[in-house]
Order: sequence, then structure tokens, then C-alpha cells
Amino acid sequence: MDRVRQFGRRADLEPGRHGVGRHLSRSLALRIMVPAALVAGIVLCALRLDGAAGLGRDPVFTVFAGAAFGILLQRSRFCFFCILRELFEERDARGALGILVALAVGSLGYLVVLQPWLPDPGVGRLPPDAHIGPVSWVLVAGGLSFGLGMVLSGSCISAHLYRLGEGSTLSPFALLGTVAGFMLGFLSWNSLYAGTLSSAPEAWLPAMLGYGGAAALQGGLLLALALVLLLWVRWPEPTDASPTGSPPTPATLARRVFVERWPTWLGGIGIGVLGFLAYLRTEPLGVTAELGSRARTLAEQLGWVQGRLPGLDAFAGCATVVIDALMTPNGVFILALVAGALAAGVASGNFRPRRYPWHRYLLALLGGVLMGWGAMVALGCTVGVLLSGISAFAVSGWVFAAATTVAVWGGLAANQLTGSWPQAEQARVR
Amino acid sequence: MKINSLISCARSLLLAAGLSVAGVAAASEAVVSADWLAAHLDDPNVRVVEVSVEPGKFERAHIPGAVNFRWHTELVDPVRRDIAPREQWEQLLSTAGIGPDTTVVLYGDNNNWFAAWGAWIFRYYGHADVKLLDGGRNKWEADRRPLSSRPVRHAATEYRVSETQPGLRARLADVLAVVEGERQAKLLDIRSPAEFEGRIFAPPGVQELAIRAGHVPGAKNVPWGSVVRDDGTFKSIDELRALYAGNGIDGSEPVIVYCRIGERSAHSWFVLSQILGYDAVQYDGSWTEYGNSVGVPISNPAGTVWGGT
Repeated sequence: MDRVRQFGRRADLEPGRHGVGRHLSRSLALRIMVPAALVAGIVLCALRLDGAAGLGRDPVFTVFAGAAFGILLQRSRFCFFCILRELFEERDARGALGILVALAVGSLGYLVVLQPWLPDPGVGRLPPDAHIGPVSWVLVAGGLSFGLGMVLSGSCISAHLYRLGEGSTLSPFALLGTVAGFMLGFLSWNSLYAGTLSSAPEAWLPAMLGYGGAAALQGGLLLALALVLLLWVRWPEPTDASPTGSPPTPATLARRVFVERWPTWLGGIGIGVLGFLAYLRTEPLGVTAELGSRARTLAEQLGWVQGRLPGLDAFAGCATVVIDALMTPNGVFILALVAGALAAGVASGNFRPRRYPWHRYLLALLGGVLMGWGAMVALGCTVGVLLSGISAFAVSGWVFAAATTVAVWGGLAANQLTGSWPQAEQARVR
Repeated sequence: MKINSLISCARSLLLAAGLSVAGVAAASEAVVSADWLAAHLDDPNVRVVEVSVEPGKFERAHIPGAVNFRWHTELVDPVRRDIAPREQWEQLLSTAGIGPDTTVVLYGDNNNWFAAWGAWIFRYYGHADVKLLDGGRNKWEADRRPLSSRPVRHAATEYRVSETQPGLRARLADVLAVVEGERQAKLLDIRSPAEFEGRIFAPPGVQELAIRAGHVPGAKNVPWGSVVRDDGTFKSIDELRALYAGNGIDGSEPVIVYCRIGERSAHSWFVLSQILGYDAVQYDGSWTEYGNSVGVPISNPAGTVWGGT
């Protein structure tokens, strides 16, 4: 039994079995008090930020959306790398099906939002703010770099953010590397833009096929992928010993909600709904805008990057602009995400800081650099380009998804050959 | 004592009444209050048009029944650096269900920056009845007035431009004629003092700029933001008159107003021409054209040199 499972053992949630009070362990008290304080803090922050300047029209929504995203990611272990790893190494496709569910739900929601926003998708305009990026070899290179970075660092950027809330000691290094990778991206931007990106098409399925055609094509693709996974999957033996037919007790319900990993499909539904709600109310889900903008600001202050990066600010997506504000909407979203993940992580007993061999930190840093460069040139990561992009029917989302998947598959295959690459942190936690 | 109190009370009432009239630029027919607009939202002769700087604002929520004009694609001719061509303009207004007699009320974010620019184009193409919502989008939202995200499709019209008013627009040659004393007019620069004095080439974060810093010789500097209150509503007519008169602009001479790319200045053009009734025209080539032009003089008090140390 691994340490996480030990921490989340049934006795923690059923103190009555051994006598109330005496066995109400300090860890259980902390696991209730700390998340409760965090949730209260999140609510207070939301109330304080209501009407604050510079945070858009809806800072309250931004705070709650960020916290909800963090909780959903942590509870359903919505880590793109771990999901792909389970798929390729164990033929466990439940996580991958969860991603498909998120994309299907997100696409449906975006369809509802987009049609009144841009009634005629063929007029040559793109829907405002949607993550529809230029499609070129640069996007493929960015996706491959991002995928390899995921393998080396053990997670994608969004998962590293929620793992901050689980006390991961690797994630800060990976995120530090991401900032450095963004800077490298800025240094290579001008030549990539002039040579390729300025003339690359921003392909949007509804512009080519109409809303009906785009929905049919994308729905068909998602369905086909789901069927392939269902045929290929090796279903694990059921391990839940709870008797069937009898109604769950409050304790087992609490355990399912607060301790056990949520089914990824459930997380997928939540993330899909959150995705189109966020697009409707504020901006598409994305986690790299703040990181990238801070990296660009730092790079400018250090004199490494010239003030002008042609074309960058004109692209939709996780735009990276120089910022001097203390708080931005995406910054608030990220902080709320980490706070939400921390609340969920502590409550579930997944908050477990631990030390690793030094080379793991180096690999996390290196992986972060690769992810940062990839996210910069692809104008976003697995959340902005893949989740939000595909939900908005962007071809760039599919291309990025394919490239990252190939890179992860290649990276894992290389790992199996050499046996020298690290195991992903908590990859197999259920 | 009682008489004194009564007099004081009456004076207060008179003062309050005076302020409530003089304190609202909406006394000008070119500006409507949010109350007026709220009462006319269902009026078929009134069409509300949003022109916001930020894309996506209209789509998320807008004044019920409003239509959206996208400034960066629908109000411009990007190839010629020009306002929308006549045919494009006619098509835009026809789709929006605007007729020649429709009362058009424009509003937008950033205190009606680009909404005012839209109003200038409406007037340029000869549409007579054009107004701005006082305070624009910010005030409407701050007042917690209703917003909608439901799309409205108005019955299309066959809008035809009957006359254009090219006299509302100044060209580089017109500005140079004033600089060289061949023509009598006031020049008004509405950019920030730092841009005007040549301390900076363009506002922070702005890419489009001129290689010379400073202003058109002889121009006065009245930053555009000084014509509105904190809530974005226009100052009173008396206040506006005094503001400009303090800079030598009193309506006795034509005014040419400019900014950096010609859009912010439309806001001041609107105040001068539509609210105060002065003879004002807009130089939409603005500083990015003038400051980059070969062989034209500038005034650069700060002495900043492009690329210099």
C-alpha cells in the first residue's frame, strides 16, 4: 500500500469505529481545518476583489473558476502526462476517455456560445478571444517540445500547478524552467514569426465547414478515438469491495468525494463545463498567459528581449505581454487554482512533500525549459491550445494534441529502452 | 434667522437646479443620458451601436438590442489606412437595420474612445442624427443597468450615403498650411503631456509610433481625458468651454484636432464640434503620419532623438 493510500485510510474518516474523540487524529483535524480555512480565504478574496480595477469585469467568477479548476484537476488527477502514461504503459484508457469527455462537453458548450457570437462563421472573422492559433511546423515543434518536457518533468504545466497544491517539490523547479523556456521562446520568436508564423493559416473548422459540418467532424473524431480506446483498453479488475445494492453511508460518500480519485470522466465533464463557462464570462481557460507575461517582463528588465515581438500580441491565445500590474485576471486565476488544489490536496491526504534525488530536480528544470519554449511558440499549452482550442474547433488544438501525444509516446518508449528516465511523480495514484 | 435660512435654502435649490442643467453635457443634443436610452431601447427609430476597443466585450454582454461594429475590421480600410470605404459602410448600416432617419446612439468602452470615432465616421458619411451615450459602457455597467448576450437581428435596410462631408477631415497638407501660416486655425493635440513634450515616442505598450517625438508646432495640449469626469461622463458645457478657452480655443477660429493614430482625438472632436458647436475637424493621420513625414517641422521640447543616447 503506498503512502498516499495509507494517509487516506478509512479510519481517518470513520473515527467512530474506534471511539469518537480519542481517534480523531491530528491529521484528520488538519485535513478538515486547513481546507476549510483555504475555502474561506478563497471566498474572502473573491469578495475583496469584486470591483477591483484591472481585473476585468468579473473577478469573482475568475477566483471561483480558478479554484474550481484546481479542485477538478486535483481530485480527478487530470494530468495529461499521467493519463497518456497510463494509456501507453498500462493500456488503461480511463484517463484518456476523460479527456475526450472534456473535449466533447467543451465543444458542445462552445457551439452554444459561438453561434450567436458569430452567426456566419464563413465571413472571415474568428470568434473573439478564442484560442485559434496558426498551424505550421512551428506548432508541431512546439507540441513535440512540450510533450518531451512533460516526460522529463513528470507533468504538464497545469498539472505542475495543481501539484504545487499537493506539496510537490519538483513542480517549482519545473515552473522555473518553464519561465526560462519562455525566455528562449521570445529569443527565437522574431525569426519564427518572420519565416513562418506570419503567413501560417489560423484554421478554424466552422469557417471551412460551417457549424454543422465542424460539429459533425469533431464529434466523429472524438467518437472514433473513444471507440479505439474502448477496443484497446485493458480494463482493470474491480477493486472496490463495497457491497452492491446497499446505499452508501455518509462516510463512504465522504471518502469518495474527498479522498478517492474521482473518475476522470467526471473531472472531464466538470472541466468541459468550466471551459465554456469561462469563455462565455471572461476568457478561455489557459494557464500560461501569466507565466509567459511575467517571463517576458523579466526578460525585458534583464535586457534579454527587445521590446517588440512582431505579431505576437495580435494572435489570440495565451498572449504574452509585458505587465507591470500586481494582479492580472490570469494571475488571479492561477493563484486560485493553486489554492483550490491545495485545499483538495490537503483534504484528500495527497499533500505530501517529499525529497527526490538531485537529478530529478535537474530533469524537472530541463523539462520545464522544453515545455516553456513549446508553450511560447505554440501560443499556449495543453489547457489553452489543446483543451480550449479544440473546444473552439481550432485545427491548431488537434495538431498540438497529436504532436504532444507522439512526443510522450516516444519519450516513454525511450524510457522503456533505456530504463533511465524518471517515474512520473504520483503517476499511478488512483 | 428664518429669512436667512429660507434664502440659503432657495440659493441651494437654485444652485442645485443650475448644476443639474449645466452639469450634464447631455444638455447638448449630441449626448444622451443612460436614463434616456433606457426609455428608448424599444424605440424602432433608435438604433444602439457598440464600438468597443476590446474584442469580445460586446459578445459577452451588451446593452439590450445593440449591434456591434468592429473597429479594426468594419470601420477601416486596412490596405489604404483609411476609414471604411463607402460601399462597406452602406453594407454595414444596412445589415444593422439603420435608415437615413434613424437616431444612432453609439457607446463603447474606454469612455467612448472608439464610439466617438464611429460617430465621426457617421457624420463624415452624412448621417445627421448621431449621439453618444454619456459615460459609455463603463457608466452603464457601473449603474448596474441591464445587459444582454442575446443576439438581435434587425430588419435589414437599403442604406445609401447621400452626401459625404470631407470637410470634417484634415489632411497633412491642411495641417502644414496652418504651421506655415498660410491658413488660420488652432491646432489641438489631445495626447498625454509626455507624448506632447516629446519625452516619449508613444504610450507604454504601444507599438505604432513616429520616429520623432514632440508635437505639431503651435499646437496646444489638452489631453482627451480632461474632458470627462471620473465616471466617464462629459463635463458640463461651461466647464468644457473654460477648459478649452484656457488654451486659446474659444470657437472663434477653426480647430484641427489630432492624437497618435486619429482615434482618441475623435473623442475631443466630438466635444468641440458636436457638444460645443465649434468648427472642429479631425486630422486622423495624426502624429504617426506627421511625425514620420519627411521635410515637415516639429516642436520637440524634450529634445528626444530616435535611437539616440
